[in-house]
Amino acid sequence: MTHTFKGGVHPNYMKAPQVPVSVVAPPAQVIIPMAQHIGAPCKPLVAKGDYVKMGQKVGENPAPVSAPVHASVSGTVVAVEPRPHPLGDMVMSVVIENDFQDTPCEDLAPLTEEQLKDPDAILERMREAGVVGMGGAMFPTAFKVRGGIGKVDKLIINGAECEPYLNGDHLTMLNFPEQLLKGIELVRIASGVEKAYYGIEVNKQDAIDLLNSLHPEKYGIEICPEAVKYPQGGEKMQIKAITGREVKPGGLPAGVGANVVSTRTCYAVYQACYEGKPVIERIVTVAGSALDGPHNALTRVGTPFGYLAEQCGGFVKTPKKIVLGGPMMGICATSFDAPTIKGTAGVLFFTEEEDRMVDDPHCIRCGKCITVCPMNLEPVFMYMYYSKGDYANLEKYHVNDCFECGSCSFNCPARMPLTHAFKTAKLMLQAKAAKEKAEAEAKAAKEAQK
Amino acid sequence: MSDKNERIVLDVAYQPQVRTLTDTRRIMLDVIIALLPAVVVAAIQFGFHAIVVILSSIASAVFWEWLYRKIFKKEASIGDLSAVVTGLLLALTLPPTAPWWLPVIGTLFGITIVKQLYGGIGKNFLNPALAGRAFLLSSYAIIMANWGVPSGLKGVVDGTTMATPLASLYSWSMPAYFNYKTMFLGTIPGSIGEISTLALLIGGIYLIVRKVISWRIPVAYIGTVAVVTFLFAGRGFGHFEWMMYNLLSGGLFLGAFFMATDYATSPVTLNGQLLYGCGCGLLTVLIRYFGGFPEGVSYAILIMNLCTWAIDKAFHRHQFGGSKEDIAAEKAAKKAAKEAAK
Repeated sequence: MTHTFKGGVHPNYMKAPQVPVSVVAPPAQVIIPMAQHIGAPCKPLVAKGDYVKMGQKVGENPAPVSAPVHASVSGTVVAVEPRPHPLGDMVMSVVIENDFQDTPCEDLAPLTEEQLKDPDAILERMREAGVVGMGGAMFPTAFKVRGGIGKVDKLIINGAECEPYLNGDHLTMLNFPEQLLKGIELVRIASGVEKAYYGIEVNKQDAIDLLNSLHPEKYGIEICPEAVKYPQGGEKMQIKAITGREVKPGGLPAGVGANVVSTRTCYAVYQACYEGKPVIERIVTVAGSALDGPHNALTRVGTPFGYLAEQCGGFVKTPKKIVLGGPMMGICATSFDAPTIKGTAGVLFFTEEEDRMVDDPHCIRCGKCITVCPMNLEPVFMYMYYSKGDYANLEKYHVNDCFECGSCSFNCPARMPLTHAFKTAKLMLQAKAAKEKAEAEAKAAKEAQK
Repeated sequence: MSDKNERIVLDVAYQPQVRTLTDTRRIMLDVIIALLPAVVVAAIQFGFHAIVVILSSIASAVFWEWLYRKIFKKEASIGDLSAVVTGLLLALTLPPTAPWWLPVIGTLFGITIVKQLYGGIGKNFLNPALAGRAFLLSSYAIIMANWGVPSGLKGVVDGTTMATPLASLYSWSMPAYFNYKTMFLGTIPGSIGEISTLALLIGGIYLIVRKVISWRIPVAYIGTVAVVTFLFAGRGFGHFEWMMYNLLSGGLFLGAFFMATDYATSPVTLNGQLLYGCGCGLLTVLIRYFGGFPEGVSYAILIMNLCTWAIDKAFHRHQFGGSKEDIAAEKAAKKAAKEAAK
């Protein structure tokens, strides 16, 4: 039996796991942004002219919600300045001129046998190696796991990879199954639980069979096959599918005793603990109709998108959009010079071919958005209230529960910009709440003065 | 960085970056395809004139839609095929003897007054085809009750017009040539598109399989009619016989699969659709039993159209992660806070 949730859509998956992993030659210059995680951005630890080794820490911040960043090549720092960030804006970055020696940094030694069984040592290493949620959310993993200790009884490993195009998790399962299981075991030990549930969509049956043949129970892991449906890999959907629990509105997964860690993150934990290797590279699926075929490219962190496209055969058509991650939740990059970061699972170069927008959409009230919403929302009404600027009803219809999976917009035959509207609505509600709070405080201060 | 890339202007769009192939036009095309079996039966039973009426209805509906948008300088909308569907549906509710100009008047009312004046596709609150039919029924009552003899009954029935099975049923005298088989296959008199239950069933199942409509409204609608007519059978008929005659005669299947499921005028909430279907069924039976007209389908649907907004508001979905205990606890906390403030 496969695990699943209610709602969801079936996009055209466009997966190409049969394309072998190709190693992208590191570029002459890598750009290491100081913000590659949710939380406090790092402060640069190096200055222009410094020599750095591959894997050397180049930025960190002592704040609890943060993760250090590391040099992905060896060479000379040529600039420490704001550079285009993949998620927009200019962000302080360390630019390293590659000496093509890949001289490794020995700061992080592999953990000893005892340390590999010690939750604190593993958590400390996760933090030091800069491990963040590599499914795309980029939440610092050490903080997430530590926060769940004592509360979490169901540790879920996310192997759904439900976004179209992306193959990185699937290929990690196929190429490094044993290492992956060991990585999951480490996360399990660090979480202080007896068992980890590994949810994998059944379109990766070969990976499920391979992992099962390696006796996952030895590592305290149970493989849970899941139905192929987007957004199966959403945190709340994974928890619902495997445990039947629903994360409370506005609450954290730990609130219902569950934590979700992605496949690639577990592999990064393995590399950090067993090999002493920080997060400096990952498999990036490079695809889209502007290229002549998909590539599963092992790419160093800090590789600019333009260079990446050249290494993958160059453009056969003029790209119109650069999409980061999968096409359902991925956002658009605005510059060819912005680099890949830890959370970049895919770089898609789309042309008009993928585009199905219309200029002046008219809702036909078909209700197809309601049937697919995995959060039981009613997008058709939310959009109506959004158009009217009706905040009270937006809240009543739980617009804040929307996690922007894009299923409603994807399925809309009239091409209404639903997800976009709800993102804006949530920001408007936040701004309104902040304003009201400030006003109330000002009023209270005034009264106190009297 | 190569100079070539610098010259490329990148687009930014909010997620998702991909969308399903099915668009409004494709959905309307599916509805047209689903109605083709009924059109074929109409051509066989009522001949060339039925096709003339259908074509005149479609052409006039598209023309009125085009003209309205043109006059009021709005972007053209006939490409979405919704006007074609309205024209086709209206023609299928007319008697086969209807003159060619009748649907031209019906679509003028349905398209301009009912649909476009309220903002066009998705904004109207009454089904344009049914509203057009209701308009014609009150304006041309005699023409609208002129039931031509189908080719399947030529030689069996004298004259050029005859009573429909539904009218016969409610005057308590069913002639032998109205039986399950003729009513299922459609060798009976009636409006152009309603006679063959089989043809409509094929189209309805096609729509459900293509996910154009959900099963909820038609099943709730037909199911309610079945249950109520079975429980309250008429004089001289067995319970099952009465139920079957009520299901197979009149416009029930056309209404349940193609009219009541109109997107703009039916509820979008899942439980709301069930209630709406039941309401349509109940009203249909009530009008047939007690109303002035023999048929109740169109008015039942039009009345339920008016209730759609209220039904949708009443059926708010269960919030993900929100348990009953939580909601109760939240209310109690608010109450306590209020009392503490006092």
